[in-house]
Amino acid sequence: MASIAAPGLALSVHRSHRRLTPSTATTTTAASVPSLTIKSKYPTFPPSQNPKPSSSSPRNNFDILGSKKLQNIIKTTAAIGCGLYALSNGVSNAQHSGNGGGGSSGGSGGGGGGGGGGDSFWSKIFSPAAIAGEEESQEWDSHGLPANIVVQLNKLSGFKKYKVSDIMFLDRRRGSTVGTEDSFFEMVSLRPNGVYTKAQLTKELETLATSGMFEKVDLDAKTNPDGTVGVTISFLESTWQSADRFRCINVGLMPQSKPIEMDPDMTEKEKLEYYRSQEKDYRRRIERSRPCLLPPPVQREILQMLREQGAVSARLLQKIRDRVQQWYHENGYACAQVVNFGNLNTKEVVCEVVEGDITQMVVQFQDKLGNVCEGNTQYPVVRRELPRQLRQGQVFNIEAGKQALRNINSLALFSNIEVNPRPDEKNEGGIIVEIKLKELEQKSAEVSTEWSIVPGRGGRPTLASIQPGGTVSFEHRNLKGLNRSILGSVTTSNFLNPQDDLAFKLEYVHPYLDGVYNSRNRTLKASCFNSRKLSPVFTGGPGVDEVPPIWVDRAGLKANITENFTRQSKFTYGLVMEEITTRDESSHISSRGQRVLPSGGISADGPPTTLSETGIDRMAFLQANITRDNTKFINGTIVGERNVFQVDQGLGIGSKFPFFNRHQLTMTRFVQLKQVEEGVGKAPPPVLVLHGHYGGCVGDLPSYDAFTLGGPYSVRGYNMGEIGAARNILELAAEMRIPVRNTHVYAFAEHGNDLGSSKDVKGNPTEVYRRMGHGSSYGVGVKLGLVRAEYAVDHNSGTGAIFFRFGERF
Amino acid sequence: MASQVIKEWVGIQQFPSATELKLLELLGKTKQEVHSASTLTVLVMGKGGVGKSSTVNSILGERAVAVSAFQSETPRPVMVSRSLAGSTFNIIDTPGLVEGGYVNDQVLDLIKRFLLNKTIDVLLYVDRLDTYRVDNLDRQIVKAITDSFGKEIWRRALVVLTHAQVSPPDGLSYDEFTSRRSEALLKIVRLGARIRKQEIKASSIPVVLVENSGRCNKNEIDEKILPNGTAWIPNLVQTMIDVVSTDSKGILVDQKLMEGPNPNNKGKVLIPFILAFQYFFVVKRIQKWIKNDIATESRPSWA
Repeated sequence: MASIAAPGLALSVHRSHRRLTPSTATTTTAASVPSLTIKSKYPTFPPSQNPKPSSSSPRNNFDILGSKKLQNIIKTTAAIGCGLYALSNGVSNAQHSGNGGGGSSGGSGGGGGGGGGGDSFWSKIFSPAAIAGEEESQEWDSHGLPANIVVQLNKLSGFKKYKVSDIMFLDRRRGSTVGTEDSFFEMVSLRPNGVYTKAQLTKELETLATSGMFEKVDLDAKTNPDGTVGVTISFLESTWQSADRFRCINVGLMPQSKPIEMDPDMTEKEKLEYYRSQEKDYRRRIERSRPCLLPPPVQREILQMLREQGAVSARLLQKIRDRVQQWYHENGYACAQVVNFGNLNTKEVVCEVVEGDITQMVVQFQDKLGNVCEGNTQYPVVRRELPRQLRQGQVFNIEAGKQALRNINSLALFSNIEVNPRPDEKNEGGIIVEIKLKELEQKSAEVSTEWSIVPGRGGRPTLASIQPGGTVSFEHRNLKGLNRSILGSVTTSNFLNPQDDLAFKLEYVHPYLDGVYNSRNRTLKASCFNSRKLSPVFTGGPGVDEVPPIWVDRAGLKANITENFTRQSKFTYGLVMEEITTRDESSHISSRGQRVLPSGGISADGPPTTLSETGIDRMAFLQANITRDNTKFINGTIVGERNVFQVDQGLGIGSKFPFFNRHQLTMTRFVQLKQVEEGVGKAPPPVLVLHGHYGGCVGDLPSYDAFTLGGPYSVRGYNMGEIGAARNILELAAEMRIPVRNTHVYAFAEHGNDLGSSKDVKGNPTEVYRRMGHGSSYGVGVKLGLVRAEYAVDHNSGTGAIFFRFGERF
Repeated sequence: MASQVIKEWVGIQQFPSATELKLLELLGKTKQEVHSASTLTVLVMGKGGVGKSSTVNSILGERAVAVSAFQSETPRPVMVSRSLAGSTFNIIDTPGLVEGGYVNDQVLDLIKRFLLNKTIDVLLYVDRLDTYRVDNLDRQIVKAITDSFGKEIWRRALVVLTHAQVSPPDGLSYDEFTSRRSEALLKIVRLGARIRKQEIKASSIPVVLVENSGRCNKNEIDEKILPNGTAWIPNLVQTMIDVVSTDSKGILVDQKLMEGPNPNNKGKVLIPFILAFQYFFVVKRIQKWIKNDIATESRPSWA
């Protein structure tokens, strides 16, 4: 370090440079209201445009977002990834230097003070600039000077590209070099083995000098034998009086204080006057500023730092800045910046923060090519999905942005969504939130076909048994721009003979029933449907060989209104009109269930299948369903409570004037048994699931509406309806889930009981098909992705079996 | 069956004259007292192999139904009708109700359908005297009968204990043994038929002992007698007539009885109240929970 140029030879830039408030002059003890500008331009992160291996907290954030999005928003992933982070100041800076070509890595590209707006985080995305720098490093010029001499910066040639072999910091006060881990090191954008011109080096020095961190800073080069130069930056750190108070203020949207040039010819009195007015101005500024979001614990922490330190040094201020910014960024205020420290040399340190106030929110539609266009979707439809924190006047928060992204995505109207904060040029410190949307096609139609080969005569496939099947569907979305839609589909497994199993659906959805500006979220849905299901009522108990199946065909109209209270809790009520037809195996209408006689014959005098006893029922009833669901995922495991109550109220309209009240109540609790830390990759807690289901009916109860017991969603270990079909049922279940690696294993016990009400179903199908009416089961299982593999023991027969099921039981 | 030509009751002449006289007297009395009783229908039910068919044959005094010692000879119900002096005496023999340790529902169903639109005047519930224990199966049989024909049928029922010619276990007199056995069985019957304690007195079910065996002891006038000396056929008929002459009515087996009361009509009147309850106490409650959830929802730090 002996080779460091003698002081005075190197080009030195004094603090009293243009960007610094004059009062920063720490040398003059009279300066009573000094202020330090760490960054005057936004956004500012530790300035260094080059890619840096060390990851700062925002980058962690980035990773979190990335993985979350994979789970939640698959469609829009890539676009969002950029969109959210394209804080365009960073963009312009980086692109500027990239295009400029000469600006190698653009260390000082941002200009004085602005100090490379980019940082590790931005530059990761906008790597072109960095790449450009690397490419240029191929060509550099030798210094052409004798080796091992120290050259002042201004003595370097302006036409040469110097390769910097190493960079050293020399603290003049301590008389020692500073390690690379020192915070000052981050301020320099020069990197070893980089290639720089004299202009760039000069600019770098200027940046350092204007940062206010140093009382004095010099840069000189030492020539190496191999033609490269070693750069030494020697400095004197700025220090101020010790402080014992800390204040953090939000100066966003406030005009930057404009320093009045101090006339060097001022008299002592005038100077005093001047300082006093400055002081007053600053006090007024503090008064006008808004309180900041920084919570008291962090403020106390910083105060502690101040007290421990004694004198306020530039390094300390840097540390404070980092801590404050860290808090903001950790809490999602990605645009928050510490812009200035004021009131230095008093007892108080004032940290001025631009938090990133939203001055405007713009919703923009783009066509397929990305050009701005007129959207079909009405603005309020998008607006109501935006969290309040994204409105004008709020502080921009990236989490709110993500929330907006998720909400808008759940509308399923857009193929691409970007939420993009960008600085407001007209309003310094302000943020304009831009929401860019690409709309999906309004109309879509789809035909999918499949051929199936079914066994023909003798089990061999014949030509006649090859069936063309498939689905024809159409959709008209976003009618009138209000997210109304019409959807229709027809499915059959055999187009040549569609009457066999034609399934159709026509649905109209009308959201925002109370108006798009009303916060009440009610959706009207009207549909026309049919379905065909195997009735679990006509199923044999254990040991009963085979019960001839009964198919229940339903076709009808349904209109309901759904009111969403939260994302998961809702109340639905509406009217259902349907025709129910019961058929036997050969699709003939059958009015009674069949049964196998001991002699082997089949008698068709089993329980009646319909209320009218003709095989065809028509009925209209009201249906209401209220769901309360406050479950949430903790490290991928569901925890919380879910209650569902459903009533079907017959109106006495239809065959045999059906009048009934059919109700069921389901209560499920997922009890978290251990508190765990939340986070990606953390282990989920063990969970105890308690489940109860009561179903009952008063009044007319046709067999197809009877409650059945047994099956994967009732009592596991039994077949659908194997336990019984009854008027009132009670199911109880408990399951213990223990996380193992990425999945969980579970043990369960379940019980289903007909409460003696099987005989109250006409024809007593439970007894006719020799079922017990009650049954328990227990078992263990493991979750493998979406599949549950479980071994369940049916308590009635005492035998166990392995089952594979899709989806969750609860 | 109804179209079947009703035979004269010739079997009555097979009985010793004392019995025959007694029977004629009894039947005549019935005709006078119970005006509608131009027919008397007796239903015989019980476990398999206890001697239902034999009892039928004994009463009729002829081999009207096939009897086999080792296997069920009665695959379906059989009605034997005999007319005597203008009145008709029907007796319905049924297959055993028990199969493989359980009440055979199909047999029960068969019986029920056989009995459709017939009026049962007397039910003979048959069991053996010489079994010492009663078990759950007995109760189930009684319950099945009750479920099928209603509780009322037990007002018209007789418990018939066959194989009455037994030597009782040591230390018990014959009368003591029979009364104990019948008491045990009656207890089960009451349990199965859900006859409450208060009702026991009002509807006491008579117990009649029967011995169908050809080795049955006879008295000096050639009547079959029990070890305690009673001539059992007149006694049985007498008890039957007694039961019929009480004020209870015969059980008409119609569609409604067969299917039980229509469960669909039960509680229909209450539906409006149930609905109101559901709205005010269930839906409202859940809505309150949801509101509470919204209020206590953990918000992100930025909200």
